[in-house]
Amino acid sequence: MSLWVLALAGGIVGLDGTSFPQIMISRPVVAGALMGWVLGVPAEGAALGAIFELFHLGILPIGASRYPEAGTAIVASVWAYAASGADPGTGFLMAIAFGLFWERLTGASVVLLRRWNSTILTLGEPRATPGSIQGRHLLALAADFGRSALVSVVGGLAGASLVAILVPYWPSDGDVAEGMLHIAGVAVAAGALTIFGGWRERWRLVLAGVSAGVLLLAVT
Amino acid sequence: MFLRSLAIQGSWNYRTMIGGGFAFTLLPVLRAIHRDRPDALHDALDRHRQIFNSHPYLVGVALGAVARLESEGVDPDVIDRFKSAVRGSLGSLGDGLVWAGWRPVCALAALVLLYAGTPWWVAVTTFLIAFNAGHLALRGWGFHIGYHYGLSVAAQLRRAHVTDTSGVLSAVGAVLLGTLLPLLIAAAPPDPAAALPWLGAAVLACVVGLRWGNRVRTPAVLALFGAAALALVARVLA
Repeated sequence: MSLWVLALAGGIVGLDGTSFPQIMISRPVVAGALMGWVLGVPAEGAALGAIFELFHLGILPIGASRYPEAGTAIVASVWAYAASGADPGTGFLMAIAFGLFWERLTGASVVLLRRWNSTILTLGEPRATPGSIQGRHLLALAADFGRSALVSVVGGLAGASLVAILVPYWPSDGDVAEGMLHIAGVAVAAGALTIFGGWRERWRLVLAGVSAGVLLLAVT
Repeated sequence: MFLRSLAIQGSWNYRTMIGGGFAFTLLPVLRAIHRDRPDALHDALDRHRQIFNSHPYLVGVALGAVARLESEGVDPDVIDRFKSAVRGSLGSLGDGLVWAGWRPVCALAALVLLYAGTPWWVAVTTFLIAFNAGHLALRGWGFHIGYHYGLSVAAQLRRAHVTDTSGVLSAVGAVLLGTLLPLLIAAAPPDPAAALPWLGAAVLACVVGLRWGNRVRTPAVLALFGAAALALVARVLA
């Protein structure tokens, strides 16, 4: 599996997160599935992306808030899973756990980039010219692409090593690991109700949805 | 300008926020307006690269309005005051409508499709098409009303019932989240023969999440790390 693929995917996904064009290929449910498809493990990539998405439903990128960067983290996680050769269940747990850790660092890299942008946009220039406005903005875009590619490659390599080392030590079968992921994911996904008003305001609608979900389970 | 607006956050920074991007996006219009007046062009660029922020999907409202005001030769102080007046509204309206509304609704719809057994490419394609239909329509609408109404665009924003739409999306999101929860709970048990404890744990996790909201994220992640670490340590020591 070529590292250039990882770098390119990470760069594109990271760019989409904030800089360009924000069409949401950086959402974990999309980025995970697409990365898995590129690496030849589409179903596993989609599963990883879906689980990771559960942990990010309630995170809002509002204003100057600092938040974990999910897109590059899931790209690194899917790579880590695919490159480690681990079985689905245990590999999922290790890859997702790594991703949830790695996204803190990728989020910190976004903060560093924004600080760098503050400097770059006004460095040594008393007056704005068309060339400098355009050039500096494009430079910032290129820097974001480079940052995203770098954190994806480093994360993918570190994650793959960690997953490959830890998976053999897992004491039970992969289904238990995946079960643990879903339990944590249920809790966090349910907690995302906050962004829709919370339990007190929305309990009737949530229960209506639960009924629909149970019906869906019965028919599928 | 529309295409450039897709990259407006490219130089986001803590000092001017999307100020640099705003000037970058407006550049073609300013060039056309001040074609033979480089000093006026530089002055305009200096003004428009100052601090500004907006939700990226609603920034077209400000861009369209400013493009019109600049082309009409409106006093720069009036334009600056207009920008200061709208930036808070465009941020909060967009956050409620998109980040806390349209995006999670589309993500939940995709997750429901996935966990209900739909092929992954159907769920992903549905998400991308649905989300971006709304996304691009919102951007285009913003440019349209901004350019059409100029200084009086704020009244148009109020008439557009953006807040009401956010409320509807929020309600839809709650229903979709409720729909997803049983599908997630059913996915938890690794072994149908021993499903009960797992289902119980998943239901308990769901109740805890509904009760404590977003505060549950960090403890849930730490619990996951802790459980995994304990299992690994136990295996190594055994």
